[in-house]
Amino acid sequence: MSNPSIDIAKRENALAAGKDFIIGPDDRILVTGASGFIGSRVLQNLLDRGLRNIVCLVRPSSDLSEIEAMIERRQPDARIDVHKGNLLSRTDCEAAARDVAVIYHLAAGTGEKSFPDAFLNSVVATRNLIEASLRFGSLRRFVLVSSFAVYSNRDKPNGRILDESCPIEEHPELRGEAYCFAKVRQEQLVSEYGKNSGVRFVLIRPGSVYGKKGDISGRVGIAAFGPFLHLGGFNKIPFTYVDNCADAIVLAGLVKGIDGEAFNVVDDDLPSSRQFLRLYKKNARKFKSIYVPHALSYALCYLWEKYSKWSQGQLPPVFNRRRWHTEWKKTRYSNQKLKTKLGWTPKVSTSEGMRRYIETCKPDGRYA
Amino acid sequence: MLKVAIVGCGKIADFHAMQLQRIEGCEIVGVCDREPLMAKQLFERFPVKQYFSDLAELLETAQPDVVHITTPAESHFDVARFCLEHGCHVYVEKPFTLYAEQAERLVGLAERKRVKLTVGHNDQFSHVARRMRALVQSGYLGGAPVHIESYYTYDLGDPSYARALLGDENHWVRRLPGKLLQNVISHGIARIAEFMTGDSPHVIAHGFVSSLLKQINEREIVDELRVIISEEQGATAYFTFSSQMKPPMHLLRLFGPKNGLILDQDHEILIRLRGQKFKSYADMFIPPTLFAKQHLGNLFNNVRLFLGRDFHMDSGMKYLIESFYRSIRDDSPVPIPYREILLTARIMDAIFEQVSVDQLQNHSSQVICRPN
Repeated sequence: MSNPSIDIAKRENALAAGKDFIIGPDDRILVTGASGFIGSRVLQNLLDRGLRNIVCLVRPSSDLSEIEAMIERRQPDARIDVHKGNLLSRTDCEAAARDVAVIYHLAAGTGEKSFPDAFLNSVVATRNLIEASLRFGSLRRFVLVSSFAVYSNRDKPNGRILDESCPIEEHPELRGEAYCFAKVRQEQLVSEYGKNSGVRFVLIRPGSVYGKKGDISGRVGIAAFGPFLHLGGFNKIPFTYVDNCADAIVLAGLVKGIDGEAFNVVDDDLPSSRQFLRLYKKNARKFKSIYVPHALSYALCYLWEKYSKWSQGQLPPVFNRRRWHTEWKKTRYSNQKLKTKLGWTPKVSTSEGMRRYIETCKPDGRYA
Repeated sequence: MLKVAIVGCGKIADFHAMQLQRIEGCEIVGVCDREPLMAKQLFERFPVKQYFSDLAELLETAQPDVVHITTPAESHFDVARFCLEHGCHVYVEKPFTLYAEQAERLVGLAERKRVKLTVGHNDQFSHVARRMRALVQSGYLGGAPVHIESYYTYDLGDPSYARALLGDENHWVRRLPGKLLQNVISHGIARIAEFMTGDSPHVIAHGFVSSLLKQINEREIVDELRVIISEEQGATAYFTFSSQMKPPMHLLRLFGPKNGLILDQDHEILIRLRGQKFKSYADMFIPPTLFAKQHLGNLFNNVRLFLGRDFHMDSGMKYLIESFYRSIRDDSPVPIPYREILLTARIMDAIFEQVSVDQLQNHSSQVICRPN
């Protein structure tokens, strides 16, 4: 049981430490996707920093247990409003965006295979949200949580650093991934609002966010054809533990002087794909995997791409060279900008994050 | 060159645009969606000349010969009527309209305007469905079908649609008279309608909310349906729709006075059921051998089609569109006779009359039969 007076003192220290923030503790903050994996950690992080006027926009079907627990635990002076709604409804957007100073936009059409669905739930939803916020004139920053998926990584030699200066996918429609297409267009939309309507924004691009039981990152490999095909090899995987990622997202909405900037989010001491897989198989779940060398995975992607075109889409172009460059080409990652401009450091080390993650992946494992 | 437009730029429009790319002699002159961003994203990803957010502007500027309507079902009637009145041929995605009366009005309008009309019952034009139709037309059944069974399952675990529907109280599917059923059963009903000869069969429908949906407090979405359809002088049919039944299947069984046929859409398998029996123990050994041979034949056929680049997931849609366009160019009969479109709509009307949520709530037995 925590001591309220100590908690308040901690929060006051946190706020004092953040004297260069663009908002005060009572300014209203909107978090979309607040019931999600990252969103709930963002919410907790905001509360821990002493921000006490938060509105959450969640889908009507969302599991609210985590938010309800936070409401239960919150300090008496903290206010958390929960709006159940749909970002495709302008009315819902207006209700949620009323008088907010910062919007953390995390809700997205993840897992969509359909391009129109992913686009609708990402781009159209974002447009509705920004339009709604413009009506009230109180918005000081719009934080868009985007993804590494937007980077092209094609014209860089093997092993070079992927950082915020790298080009964005010029033809995301050719990547074969609805998510990539939607995210690139979503970033473009936000940038256009920045240019044309003066919306101050920050783009946050997390790598592979981990921390709960789920599918192994596609950057490590895929299991679509039966046995797990290990494609990552010695590549570093751009992991970021969910709490570290949430910390970066929150800072992006608070720190002064970063409007219009983009930040990649990856942790320190990244494991290679091989190290991760070994750790996972040893401690979480055993399964057979087949290593596919980079030259072979590139050749297979090339052949798949050509066959897809030749057969007029008899096999959809889900494997192609653009995707290979992004996901399986040997690449290094940098979080230097995040550290320098946001003052971010990963609070959870990669070894500790992996330990917690592996616990959740065990058949009977759970992490609290 | 046929000038084609697509109205409604959601998920299903992608399938149309993909198939149109593969069809010679047509070009997409415009796409339209009330949401300009949606129209633009389709325009960006396919060879499309222009995009619009206003239907009248599309028709006036792009002047399409054919319009594909891929909007949500509730707008099918109004959009189709508008396009027909402007002299366009119209392909309407399923379900054709919300009510049979609307379907009749559209067909009447198309005939008056001397333009063609079809509905997206593309499952009926898959490779296996065409093989089955050819066998029926060759007289394999030994006469008109005596009984038809159509199974249509739907996996509510499909995240792209079902979760959106279940989680959203304002989802457009909930506003349809037949809700989920209206949006998905027309393929299975159309398969029955193809082989029925009358225009107004008796329909007895029994629908209910599955226990799975009840567990998550869903009370509106009827996701289990059993239907008996019968004609006084013609065939009888059973239709089964289920979200819970496993394995998932889209199956048609057709029984004639002499032989039968089984069409398995999911696996592209067609099996001939021989009416004649073999003598004694031969009936235990020869038919399994013949079935094995038929399954091998299906396998070889599917492999041949795949190697020949003619085994796309939506091959039925391409064939239907090509047939529809041919009927426009040659002024020949449309691929789906209007009688079938109207009969499908009437059967669906009869089902929804009996399986409405109000009736489910007012009848604890949940067995509702249409009065004679």
